[in-house]
Amino acid sequence: MMMMYLLYIDPGSGSYLVQVIAAAVLGVAFFFKNIKLYIKSLFFRSPKKPKDNPPA
Amino acid sequence: MLQSYHHHPSSYRDPSGFIFEKGGLLYRQVNKIFKEDFDHFINSGCYEAFVKKGFLIPHETTGENLTGTEEYYKTLKPETVPFISYAYEWSFNMLKDAALLTLQLLKEAVGFGLILKDATPYNIQWHRGKLIFIDSLSFEKYNEQEPWIAYRQFCESFLSPLLLMHYSKQPLQQLQLAYPEGIPLAVTRSLLPRRSQFSLHTYLHIHLHARVSSKNNTNSSQQNKFSKQKLLNLVSSLETLIHKLKLPAQKSTWSEYYDEASQRNDYLEQKKQLIQQWAGSLTHIKTAADLGANDGVFSKLLAEQNIFTVATDFDPLCINNLYAEIKENNQQYLQPLVIDLSNPSPAIGVNNTERLSFISRTKVDLAMALAVIHHLAIGKNIPLEKIASFFNQLGNYLIIEFVPKDDEKIQFMLKSKEDIYTHYTEENFELAFVKHFTIQNKQKVGSSGRTLYLMKRNG
Repeated sequence: MMMMYLLYIDPGSGSYLVQVIAAAVLGVAFFFKNIKLYIKSLFFRSPKKPKDNPPA
Repeated sequence: MLQSYHHHPSSYRDPSGFIFEKGGLLYRQVNKIFKEDFDHFINSGCYEAFVKKGFLIPHETTGENLTGTEEYYKTLKPETVPFISYAYEWSFNMLKDAALLTLQLLKEAVGFGLILKDATPYNIQWHRGKLIFIDSLSFEKYNEQEPWIAYRQFCESFLSPLLLMHYSKQPLQQLQLAYPEGIPLAVTRSLLPRRSQFSLHTYLHIHLHARVSSKNNTNSSQQNKFSKQKLLNLVSSLETLIHKLKLPAQKSTWSEYYDEASQRNDYLEQKKQLIQQWAGSLTHIKTAADLGANDGVFSKLLAEQNIFTVATDFDPLCINNLYAEIKENNQQYLQPLVIDLSNPSPAIGVNNTERLSFISRTKVDLAMALAVIHHLAIGKNIPLEKIASFFNQLGNYLIIEFVPKDDEKIQFMLKSKEDIYTHYTEENFELAFVKHFTIQNKQKVGSSGRTLYLMKRNG
């Protein structure tokens, strides 16, 4: 009950669902991005760590 | 007997607590209902870590129930923010940094078992030379199975204006003002060019988001389980997108103004000297507003004397450049702001008291209006009397420059419009201003023909 009460902003209908879809798509996208970066790192020494890479 | 307190008009949405004023000081009350979350925020070390990193405004906890309300759990006394500003007064990079700060806070809060329960630029203010988060009640316990409740709010109030400005290459502060709670996804989607759909991140956060939101699907959302990794992926995607957004590198209206102006004898040097001298002579000056600050050359003179100065200009690119400079030099006494003096930000929101007008927020010791009067009087046809009454509402002292009609800048303006400004003379200028001010000093600036005035408000 308390959790419901504290939900003071409207998350928006569909916003939860979009997050679920987006997270699934991004999971795949970041998976391939990490593979790409890993392969790159085999060929180039000390590559710059990408700032925006999600935590493993 | 408890003194009465004044509940802040913009602090009504969140039942966790509220801002109030008492005895001229601003406090934040934490309500009982938020006890568990707030204690976790403090005890987990999250608060301390954020304050240490300069992300969050520090507060002191007072043991007193100053409001006398039953909901009271704690009273906080946050450090004072010298000037409240709103996202529709920020330049592109200011909004971008505020968005990145919000995501950073979210990401780091998750490490402490907390999550940001709202994502609005109103929770971010200018403090000691940078944008900082001010709402210490925005962090609640994190349930890993729940998606981010403030995701839509973030997309509408940060991502939408940034994307629209990025793609249109236009400053859209006015659009933010039109949608103070964020630009609706459907509006953003319809205004963005079709090619924006080919960016995966823009597609997911705006186009798909708008499309799914337009359908009624409340039931399905409850059954989907989320995870911390999914949340971090989402944040990472938003960050990647926002990092890529930028304004085109183009010259602003005034970006070459001083290069050109400085060529005119020693105009600039003399003007600087006069301002330094006058501002220095007024020892009790603590706050100032430089109205029409351009790239902030003169605002910086005041800031160097430890006078907290709000530097405003109607040109968002000028303010964006000034912001970059302040960020680089860590200038603590300067706050850049996009303001059109002929149409300063109005009071908006519930009862029109939620977000205050620029005039009612700007009560400074010294107002400065250099090479601005002709833009208002001739560029915008505003009568001198109205201009005088505008400045009268802002500062106790006024440093103002009068630009005579034969000045090359005015002559240039008059090339494209008829000269109907017979009233625009130095004599009439003085007559209009002495109704509100006493002229304390008056000096010609070099051989420019322009005159600098130091005035004090009457009464």
